[in-house]
Formats: sequence, structure tokens, C-alpha cells
Amino acid sequence: MATIEITFTLNGTEHCIEADTRWTLLYLLREEFGLTGTKRGCDMGECGTCTVLLDGLPVNACQVLVASISACRVTTIESLSSDGNLHPLQVAFLENDGGQCGFCTPGFIMSAIPLMEMDTPITRDQISEALGGNLCRCNAYGAILDSVNAALDERFHA
Amino acid sequence: MPENLGWVGSSPPRRDLGDKVTGKAEYAADIGLDGMLYAKVLRSPHPHARILSVDTFEAGKLAGVKAIVTPFDVPDGRVAPDVAILDQKVRFVGDEVAVVAADNPFTADLAVKLIEVSYEILSFSSTTDEALADSAEPIHEGGNLINNAPLIEQRGNIDEGFGEADLIVEESFTTPAHSPAPLEPRTALARWDGSKLTVWKSSRGIHADKIALSQALGLSTESVRVIGPHMGAGYGGKDESRTAVLASILSMRAQAPVRLELSREEEFVAGRRRHSTQTTLRMGLKKDGEITAIHAKTVMDTGAYLSSGPGVARRAGQGALYLYRCPNVRYEGSLVYTNTPTAGSYRALGAPQGHYALECVADLAAESLGIDPLEFRRKNHVGLEGQPGERITPVTEIVDTQPSEGGIPFSSNGLSECLALGAERIGWGKPVDGIHKSSSKSIKRGRGMSMFLYRGGPGGKAHASITLTEDSSYSLATGVMDVGEGSATVLSQIASQVLSTPYDSIDLVMGDTDITPEASITAGSSVTFSSGLAVKRAAEILRDKILNQAAQFLGDCQHALKLRGSGVKSDSGAFISICDLVEHSGAINAEATIVPGSSDYVINSFGAHFVEVEVDVETGKVNISRYVAAHDAGTIINPKMAENQVRGGVSQMMGFTFLEDMETDPNTGIVVNSNFLDHKSPTILDFPDIDVIFADINDPIGPFGAKSLGEPPCIGPAPTITNAIYDAVGVRITDLPITPHRLLAAIKNRKV
Repeated sequence: MATIEITFTLNGTEHCIEADTRWTLLYLLREEFGLTGTKRGCDMGECGTCTVLLDGLPVNACQVLVASISACRVTTIESLSSDGNLHPLQVAFLENDGGQCGFCTPGFIMSAIPLMEMDTPITRDQISEALGGNLCRCNAYGAILDSVNAALDERFHA
Repeated sequence: MPENLGWVGSSPPRRDLGDKVTGKAEYAADIGLDGMLYAKVLRSPHPHARILSVDTFEAGKLAGVKAIVTPFDVPDGRVAPDVAILDQKVRFVGDEVAVVAADNPFTADLAVKLIEVSYEILSFSSTTDEALADSAEPIHEGGNLINNAPLIEQRGNIDEGFGEADLIVEESFTTPAHSPAPLEPRTALARWDGSKLTVWKSSRGIHADKIALSQALGLSTESVRVIGPHMGAGYGGKDESRTAVLASILSMRAQAPVRLELSREEEFVAGRRRHSTQTTLRMGLKKDGEITAIHAKTVMDTGAYLSSGPGVARRAGQGALYLYRCPNVRYEGSLVYTNTPTAGSYRALGAPQGHYALECVADLAAESLGIDPLEFRRKNHVGLEGQPGERITPVTEIVDTQPSEGGIPFSSNGLSECLALGAERIGWGKPVDGIHKSSSKSIKRGRGMSMFLYRGGPGGKAHASITLTEDSSYSLATGVMDVGEGSATVLSQIASQVLSTPYDSIDLVMGDTDITPEASITAGSSVTFSSGLAVKRAAEILRDKILNQAAQFLGDCQHALKLRGSGVKSDSGAFISICDLVEHSGAINAEATIVPGSSDYVINSFGAHFVEVEVDVETGKVNISRYVAAHDAGTIINPKMAENQVRGGVSQMMGFTFLEDMETDPNTGIVVNSNFLDHKSPTILDFPDIDVIFADINDPIGPFGAKSLGEPPCIGPAPTITNAIYDAVGVRITDLPITPHRLLAAIKNRKV
């Protein structure tokens, strides 16, 4: 078993770890840090369930080897809310019934975050494009679209 | 509609959604225990073989390997009548051969690769045709056709019925074995402490799992506890126990907790998929459109093991037997073993397959008669009075929700309302080309429709226990699982309606066999109806006990009292708060057990779906420009969740209609597309505009008038879309999925 020393930032805190070179970012988050809000759905980058932000951009954590995240910023669903204060996307998903079984929900929310940071109006088609890599097998897509749309609308009213 | 609508009929947020949006909601694979080991399964590379020997010497030497179980050292219990814990025979590529626990998943993976197995290869069947051939190798004792005969259900005499017909229409259809592919792969975590086994598992029925585990392992039911965390959905699966039994044996051998988490590929092949079918359906008609006989014959592939096959085979016939008013009907359903992954229950079981054939033939019949498809259905759909014929079930007995006999009325039947509401919304009868401007000459437009019926909600015996606790809050315990469909929310709403208290003030106790009353599995769209009735009854008993206590306290007549929010009020204006009452009375508990159903009525849900499609005759691509789903599910307890469920069911079945088919290579028996890239499922980019309509129906038996809704949305999409494609381009696709390749070939071969 080969190991490698990695320094990276996880949800705002810097960590220096001795990592097994076989670990994916998904394995690291779930099994080593206990951050199980990021779900494992396929391990092949096909379902988007494990979406996290790497330096602010959505990636499938199952497709990122820990050896490659040196000096990177990793952001997971756990960092979006604090002290019961939900992120506007989380509020919108709650109010618009944006999930059924909920297994894909953290991944959808993480994929939608870059949309929230854009300062232009965004169409429903553009939302779909941004979320096209995330599967919801309950097919709650209508409610997910409504949720993201509501959060984006709220952005201009806030 | 029922009076006093408050919590029932409103749409408060799904109770567990707050935890789901923050990532706090725990699913089976999210639970870790100190000293936990990771398990991996060695699976068969052969579709049919006897295992002669398993050599674990090299694997066992690997540092970190803590336990290995093989078919030669496994307890001889069974996890289902035709499934051993581990068998010395394998029946499909992917069947379990051995299982390893190690201190990390990488070591477990390596150990699995080091196990050497010697096989005696047997000839195999990858299709039902091969399996039914005289020369086929039997997959189980007793042969490949289950029971050596088809299941037969009938009413009247079809020979007489076809004899009276002026016209007979007939067509044959096939449907694919697609996977529900829940995003959460099956996972079990087992901990044996020497006297008690605790299992956390993805489960749609913790009490059934507890019994299955105790039987397989030879343990008393008291020594088994099953905990069902949040479920990453199942759509009918995750009631099997093999994964949990294997994790349990490893935990016993290794003296440590063991987690067995399937991979995506394993979830596809070792999970449960929809039965592929071949169906031939004949319909006899009078010139005026009256139906004289219906005869459906279906052959279904159950794969390597039976699972819930008999139930699926039965349900595939219900449309043919009961959707159209007809004195002479017959259904023959043959269930066949093959050396392919096991088929099981997948949302609506056989109903989508059966209705696909039935509703395409109905359109054929209408065309042959020169009648509009909507008019044909208006004329012939079964009415509130039920089917002609004589009741066979004794009058004191509960009527099956899917009978073949006639002479029994429905408790409610919203078919005519659904047909009318859906037709109006889609603009049935108005010119389809007038609605959209065509941007390309290759685009052809059409409209289609279909209707359906489904079991209305009575399931197994249901229990509920509600307590007004000493700290003045309510606690509801039920043993059913919320598998993601929202039953925890709906049951809370039902209890809060009776107890006049906010729905989220009711503490829910679910998902643990040690602290919940026995319950059936979450299946057959039964929870709102069956558990809903038990919760409603328990809440009513509790309310009456509270009022009785309050009457003693206030010195008032119980009939003059009403439970209102935080206390009990009398007509005379006297009031006692719940807090004061509990201080006086102590905790108050009420329990109810319901055997759901009716001896007077058939209880069914109904619906009609309509669609507008755009077919590109150059690419074979079909665009759904509008979809209308009209449902009779009785009173809707939570309209927002119900609408989400209908839209989701329709979209999920776009996969069945256009995309999904688990394909087995006939030469090797290997499933060639056990991943999301090749077994493509609908994404948000494919999601069409779906209008949901609920007919204003109040069922006299269901809780607050509610019936079933979970599965029915899945029945309509395939025939509705197929009929619309015919309307658009004049070809009727009889084999699903409707891929561009298949549709283009059909258009090319179209008779001009």
C-alpha cells in the first residue's frame, strides 16, 4: 500500500493527511472524514450523486483521486448550512418538494451552486443543462427545476 | 369531499426533507461502526454451473482478511424458497459464490480475486424460448415453467364471446427487462454481539426482513433487530435479504460489524428488474363497438429466481380482465426461469406490461370500428357497477382488489371523470397541427391516450400505536417504511387531522423492529390506504380517550367536548390544556389493527393519460410536447407530494418507453449494459411538460376518502405514447423500448 502526504482545504479548514493512493475523494470524504452527505451512487461518474465543489466547480468526487487534490479547496453539502441557517437552495428544495427519496438531493444542490453565483437571468433550459449530469431515479425533476428556479428568482429579490 | 379539511388536503413540506437537503439524513451506507469490516462478493462468471470446489487458501493468507464464507461452509438455511444463502449451483452471471470481510474494501476486493473456484459448466437459457425448449437444462428442480402450467384467470366463456363477435383484432407485443436502478445500491451492515443480531439495511419492510433473517440463520425473532435508515428508494425492490444474511454470517465469523455495500454493476445484476414479457392479446367486438371477449396470453421471464414473479404474472392480467366491461375474458400468464438476473417487483409490477398490450389493442379496435379512441373507451370502460357475472367470493369475505369474478361494484370509480378531464386539458379532438407551428418538414405530430386501473390500496394487516406522552407531545409508532414516497408525512397528516395538532408536532417512531409494531412491507401502493386507516383509527381512539379524561376533569359530557390544538374545549366554554390533562391522567396510549379491504366493494384506483408527440421522421427522435395525467386516487392527502409522485412516475417510465433494456449476450449470458452509461435513464434534460389532474373522488372505504397512487402513474406512459406515435406517423410500435433505430425501421417499412 503506497501513501502520499496531501494538504488541502475541506469546508474552510486546512488538513494535512497521509492518504492511501487508491483513495478517491469520495472515499476520503465518506470513510475517513465521515462526511456522508456526499452519496455514493455508481463510482463511475455517471450519476452525479457524489457531486462536490473542487475549487468552486462541481465534480464527481468518485472520479477524483485524493493524490490530485493537493492545495485544492473542497466544499461539501455539510458546509452549506450552519446553526440551522439553510442555504437559499436548501430552502427552495424544502419549499418546492425538490426531492423524494433524497439520495440525489445533495448532489443536485451542489451542482446548482455555480448558477447561484451568476449575476444574469437564467432560463429553465440553462438550469437543465447545468443539472444534466445528475440523475434522480425518482424522477422528481419537475420539482427540482422548480426549486432551483425559485432559488434563482430569490437571488434578485434578496 | 370530506368535511373539515385541515391537514388532510394541504401540502406541508415532506417531513424528512430538511435532513435530506443538508446531507444529515442517514442511509444504510452512511452508518459506520467502530472496528467495522468491509465485505465484497465473489460472483459467478458463468450463467449456469455447478460449483465443484472453492479454494480460499491464498485469499485467507492476505493480511486484513477476517472471514470468508463459501457454499461449502455456509449454514443450510434459505433466504427464499428457491434461494439458498449460498448454493453449490450458480444460475446467472453475477450469482453469489462466496463473500469476504476485510479491514478495508481494497483488501476485500483483492481477496475476492484470489479465491479459486472450479466449475462444471451447464448449458444455459438466456431467453424464455430457450428455457421452454425440451432440451433445456432445468434451472431449478421442477423445470423452467413455474408450476409446469400458466396461471389462468377467467370470467364467462371466451369461445362463446368470440363466436358472437363481428370483428376480432389481435396483436403481439414485447416489453424489456429494465432496471429500477435506485441510486442507493443495496447495502447491509450487520453486528452480531454473541446473542443479538442488529442489521441496518436498505429495506422496504423491516419486519419482513427480521423474519427472513431469523429463518435463514436459525435465530429466534427476538434475537434479530432490523433498523431501516432512510431509503435511497427501491421502486419495488429491497425486500430481499441475501445481502443482509451474508453480512450477518461474516459478522458472526469475524466477531466484528460488517458492511456489505453493492457496486453499481452489482445493483443492476443482483438487484431486481422488471419482467420482460411477450404478450398476445385478442379482442372480439360487435359492429357497434361492444366488446364480446378479451383473451390475453403473456410469457414472462423471471430470471434465475422466482422473487415476486407470481404476483407480477397475476397483475399483468388485471387490465385485460377488468378494465373494459366484458362478460367473457381469459388471461394466461406463464412465468419462466432463465439464466439471467432475477426479475421482481418494479413499480406497478405487471400492470405496465399488460396495459401496454391492452391499450394498444384498444386503439386498434377503435380504428377498425372507425370510432375515436376516446369514444371507444367512454363506451366500454368498466363502470361503478363493476363487471357482469356472478360474485364467487362469499358475501362476508373481503373482496380481492384484483378479482376476475364479476357481480361486485367498485367502492368508487373515477374513470369517466379522468377521461373527461384529461381530454379537455389536452384538447382532444382539436386539430393537433393547429396548436404548434412546425419548424421542420420532417416533424409529424400526433396525440394519443390510454386508461388504466390498479389495486386501490388494501394491503396486509396494518398496525399503529399513538401515545400522548407525559411531556404532552404525541408519538406515532408504525412499522412501515417510508421508502422515499412520503408515507411518514402522509401518516402524520392523517394523525394530525384527527388530533387537531400540527403535523410536525407528532414525533414519528419508524424504521426499527425493536420499537415499532409489526407491519407489512411498503408494497402495492398500500401504505396511505392501509396504514393510513390504522393510524386514523388509533388517533380516533386516542382522541376519545383524551376527551373522556377531559370530561371527568371538567365535569362535562364527553359529547360536548372538542379536541382543539393545545387543549380540550367544551361547548360551555370550559377549557383544559393538554399539559394539565396529562398531569392529571399520565400518558395515554391507543393502538389499532386494521385488516384493510371491503366485503362489499372492489377497491381500485384509476386514471387516463394523454400526450402530444412530435416525431422526427428523419432521425426517429420523439419529443413529448405535452403530457396530461388524470388520476382517480380518491382524496389526495398531500397534493404537492402527490403531483411530484405522478410526474416522477411518468418520467421514470419514459425510460421503459424509449431507453431502458437490460440486455443479455446470448453467447455468454453476460449483461452487457449494467451501468448508467449504457442502460440510460431519463435525465432532467428529457423531462417533459407533465400536467397532473386529480379527479374529485372520495372513496367510502379509504382514510378520508384516499386510495392508492404510488404505482399507477407508471402504467399509462408506454401505451399512451405508442398510440400517439401511430397517430403521428401511422406505425404502431409493438416492441419496447421505442428507440430511434426501431422507429425509423418501422417508418421505412410502413405500408404506403
